[in-house]
Amino acid sequence: MNFKHKYFFLFPGLFVLIGILIFPIIFVVRLSLSGWNSYNPGLDYIGLENYIRLFTDDPRFWESFFRLSFLSVTTVILQYVIGFALAHMVWKDIKFKRFFRVLFLVPMMTTPVIMTVIWRTFFHESLGPVNDLLSVFGVAPKWLTDPVIAKFTVIIVEVWQWTPFMFLLLLAGLLSLPKEPFLAAAIDGASPVRKFIYVTFPLMAPISIGAIIIRLIEASKIMDTVYVLTSGGPGTSTETSSFYIFIKGLREFQMGYAASMSFTYLIIMIISLTIIAKVLTKVLLKE
Amino acid sequence: MDLIANNLSYKPEDQYHLNEVSFNFKEGNLYTILGRTLSGKTTLLKTIAGLLTPDSGEIEFDGKNFLKVPVWERNVAMVYQQFINYPHLNVFENIAFPLKQRKIDQGVINEKVMDALKSVGLLGYEKRKIQELSGGQQQRVSLARSLVKNAKILLLDEPLVNLDYKLREQLREEFKNLFSKGLADETILIYSTTDPKETMELNGEVIVLDEGKVLQVGPAKEIFENPNSLKVAEISNDPPMNIIEAKISDNNIQFEGINLEAPKHLSKLTEDGLKIGLRSSDIELGENGNEFEVELAEISGSETLLHLKRGDTKIIVSIEEVLNFKIHDKVKINFKIDRAYAFYADGKLASSPFGGLNGQN
Repeated sequence: MNFKHKYFFLFPGLFVLIGILIFPIIFVVRLSLSGWNSYNPGLDYIGLENYIRLFTDDPRFWESFFRLSFLSVTTVILQYVIGFALAHMVWKDIKFKRFFRVLFLVPMMTTPVIMTVIWRTFFHESLGPVNDLLSVFGVAPKWLTDPVIAKFTVIIVEVWQWTPFMFLLLLAGLLSLPKEPFLAAAIDGASPVRKFIYVTFPLMAPISIGAIIIRLIEASKIMDTVYVLTSGGPGTSTETSSFYIFIKGLREFQMGYAASMSFTYLIIMIISLTIIAKVLTKVLLKE
Repeated sequence: MDLIANNLSYKPEDQYHLNEVSFNFKEGNLYTILGRTLSGKTTLLKTIAGLLTPDSGEIEFDGKNFLKVPVWERNVAMVYQQFINYPHLNVFENIAFPLKQRKIDQGVINEKVMDALKSVGLLGYEKRKIQELSGGQQQRVSLARSLVKNAKILLLDEPLVNLDYKLREQLREEFKNLFSKGLADETILIYSTTDPKETMELNGEVIVLDEGKVLQVGPAKEIFENPNSLKVAEISNDPPMNIIEAKISDNNIQFEGINLEAPKHLSKLTEDGLKIGLRSSDIELGENGNEFEVELAEISGSETLLHLKRGDTKIIVSIEEVLNFKIHDKVKINFKIDRAYAFYADGKLASSPFGGLNGQN
């Protein structure tokens, strides 16, 4: 079929796509080849100088990247485990099932920035209620100012905020499972624990992979939590890639350099997420 | 080891699924539960398996209170009418699943699975995915899965009902072979079905179930020859037994202006409201018979089922031939009246040609 006007109908969608995706990416690539900063704003051409600087002379970027990897992988694993447990709990017929299903979703419906401010107040070292309670045991962890503990504070807040999303995806998955294999498994002599290991979990594998990948993509953008909770501190101990790029680009206004970091980051993310998806599929689906 | 049930009742809403069901199943025997759909067959099997807890009653197995034993410890195997398998496992893993739940050596598992695959004729399919198999093959996999664990109780819940005609015949044959091969030596085999023909072919002890109630228990032959009530006669015949409201007097059976000489086993009955039961196969076409009008003629396989009418009396005749009839055709039929049953007005058997009740005289 030859339809002359098809490009006309494609145009609106294409236009939006070009405007919000293709143009920005091309522009970032061009920008990364320039020395645009606050002294010298403009699209001049300096070749690969920014990339050379990034790969040879900026350990802070790579530190922030590995920190981000640690934070996102840890939070997603925790979210998956807790989310699965909660979903499994309200999957069966228990009392107040509907109430719990809604209750577990509440954190996701709150505004992340506001909630992080509240968490910051919670974890305040001298005025916050957490240390007030812990003082009973004579301990007062430096939730926000110890370089190691601060990382875990970020993890706690992230897990609290986003486990509901995982819960939602996994519950939907559980509810869509066929009932028959569970009947068969019971009769075939599988105790509840074995039923979970040999039936529920394998049947959930495809959904699990999807949920984990979605959350990994989201988690690798951690920015608002860090910004509000610790501002990357103490020092740079909770600084993540996006936060560092934000500092370089929008605080120090090194636009060209920030663009080269963004583009490098994008490439790394695409490659690593593809590998992770492949590995997960191989391990969980045995394909 | 016997499986004994006492007064099992299960009434989830306002209708009984099981109503005071009692039985005593002995090991090494085949029991067929015959009943129409929704008669409680599946409920009964699920109760034995442990998937359902009855409202009241007891089940005892091997001298122990079976209801206290959780499903996964009951050592029961079950084949369902839907082909239930594990979609995420291949054929081999599916069959090995029940064995993997116990601590059994992998070598023994391989051997047993291969044996089971062989006995259901699926050798060479072990690496296949379940979804790649046909319905009949899927049902064989679940049969193999239930055979492999050497369960003391094997439940088969209408295992053939969702298969097409050819496969059903074939698998039924294989079932018979499997059952007769000594599989049942120490197993209690419980097979539920809606199909009287299947019941007769399996030739085990039959439990006729209707609306959750046991109507009759006995060997297949006995159920077929001497159904103790109208209902059993209906359930155990396909097409259902013809029921004719007739009067017996002076050695004559009269209905719709037809006069038939009563056979010996019916001649002594004089009560009012008697119903005469005659199987569709005990009526034949005949030149000098009584005239009926064709209401419907259906051809099923090599058989023709004629739905006939005369006055208020409707009967079904099955003829072992493919014949073409039109609606409103007139046909002449003869009754093999010496094969007729008689039932009292309340549905109880009054006399049967095989010597039930008054027929004994």
